[in-house]
Amino acid sequence: MKKPNWNLVLGCALLLIVIAACLLSFFYLPYPPNVMDNAHAYLQPGQAAGHLLGTDQYGRDILSRIMVGSRTVLLIGFVSVSGGAVCGCVLGASAAMIKGIYGSIVMRAIEGLMAFPGTLLALMLVAVVGRGQWGAILAIGIYTIAPFARLVYTLILESESLLCIKAARSFGTGPLRLLSHYYLPVLLPRLLTQFSASVGSAIMTEAALSFLGLGVQPPNASWGLMLSEAKQYALLYPYLAVAPGAAIFMAVLGFHLLSDGLNDILITRRSEQ
Amino acid sequence: MLNYAIKRINGALLVVVAVSVITFVMLTQISGNAAMLALGTDATAEQLAQLEHSLGLDLPWYLQYLGWVKNLFHLDFGTSALYGENVLTLVLQRLPVTLSLAVLSMLMALIAAGFLGVASAVKKGSIIDILSRSLMQIGAAIPGFWIGLIFIIYLALGKKWFPASGFVAPGDSFTGYLQSIFLPSLVLAIGEVGPLLRAVRTSMLQSLQQDYILMAKVQGLPAWKIYIKYGLRGALAAPLNVAGMQFAKLLGGTTVVESVFSLPGLGRLVLVAVEQRDIVLLQGAVMFITLAVVLISLLADLLTAWMNPRIRLNEGGNAA
Repeated sequence: MKKPNWNLVLGCALLLIVIAACLLSFFYLPYPPNVMDNAHAYLQPGQAAGHLLGTDQYGRDILSRIMVGSRTVLLIGFVSVSGGAVCGCVLGASAAMIKGIYGSIVMRAIEGLMAFPGTLLALMLVAVVGRGQWGAILAIGIYTIAPFARLVYTLILESESLLCIKAARSFGTGPLRLLSHYYLPVLLPRLLTQFSASVGSAIMTEAALSFLGLGVQPPNASWGLMLSEAKQYALLYPYLAVAPGAAIFMAVLGFHLLSDGLNDILITRRSEQ
Repeated sequence: MLNYAIKRINGALLVVVAVSVITFVMLTQISGNAAMLALGTDATAEQLAQLEHSLGLDLPWYLQYLGWVKNLFHLDFGTSALYGENVLTLVLQRLPVTLSLAVLSMLMALIAAGFLGVASAVKKGSIIDILSRSLMQIGAAIPGFWIGLIFIIYLALGKKWFPASGFVAPGDSFTGYLQSIFLPSLVLAIGEVGPLLRAVRTSMLQSLQQDYILMAKVQGLPAWKIYIKYGLRGALAAPLNVAGMQFAKLLGGTTVVESVFSLPGLGRLVLVAVEQRDIVLLQGAVMFITLAVVLISLLADLLTAWMNPRIRLNEGGNAA
């Protein structure tokens, strides 16, 4: 009897909720997310009909803001990681194919990028490119280049000794065709799992940047920003902090589980055979 | 061992060069003219040229870079525009806070990961294994600033067990000091425990498959002796290496937690530098932290290689 892939099932389920909330937000929102209504401020979850998760300090409906926030989160996650992944793959693949001085300069730079601990690189990038949504996208994108470049570089070097690749080389196959027809099948599963894990990390970094006031700027809704606003009212209205944090947790966990689930299907199982 | 050490040190030096070039080019060449920032928009062209000349900004970038590196060797990290003080002094003032957080959180994470990792490897597939593996996922996905906020609301403001913010120097009150860093360290430890737990578990599983474990079982040794004395001992190198890396990364990874708990550490200093665009301060702080990280990772690698000869024989070529 085959064991179900719980990582994949759970990850997909969590992501479906997030993506559904995002898609639904384009057609239907319980309340307009940025309209202030001071008469209905600080409603606890369930206290008033219609405000399922309550309202914030300006009387804005929290559920609506969470739903709109999911757009920002997915946008920033996908755009920044896609950009970073493409740049990283190009750099890593070119370094592995060309080698020589070019290859070592590229890989030293990548190792340099990876040596910056934690959020330090993202913070430094924000200082350079400026605050706001696009600053965050650029910062996270550059932050994502290094792991992809390193992954592609090591995988290509590792698989150079594969018989099919040696054979293709001996036929005089050009580097681009080698990449697209011979290396890509080896790379693709790893790239997919890395992509999913990176989107999860990107969402976390975006939330942290917005929480620090360096990412998405008010009045726009972002989960990290909502938490940072909730911090000021934490003593009197702790419920404000619950929903945005849970949303971040759900999205990040979803992408991480998806990554592990894909890893189980695409990589581990193949190597076990 | 010597060969491995030389390769590894060479690699670390190259990384330091790369890091310093990236930091310098990014912060001074891209983020705008320091003289323009200092003088404001209504400065005349002459004033600007004069200040640029006195700051050395009219030189080509590689000469500026070499001058900056030369100053670094003399431990001159520049003067912060915001505080008007030497950057190194500012960094060293705040280092104890961040270091305390890093040490305490690593201790917490090591204890939890050691216990749970060994237990989940010995009883693979049991409840405790499932719990440990869930903890790995949850710990990595839970936002530190959220869990920190919840701790503040319920444990600091609600139960009043801990202060909600601020740092108490150990010289003033040692219990106060521990209380002030307990919650932030716990938050950091939750984030760190996952990879560590994974390393302990994997390494322990490998170690338990060795022949000497079977031998110990056949001899009828007590369980703790089999698992702790023989099993864990053979499984220590990899988790300790992970712990070393994590400790190093924590020096630059405490910004969010320090901001939640209003602690005056390195992370806050970097954050202020970013907010106020104090480029010299940011540059100096980033360089200091990254140098420390590279150095600690190097030590962790050398230590692991010394403990486990297989690493230096197999991976001697991978200086990174």
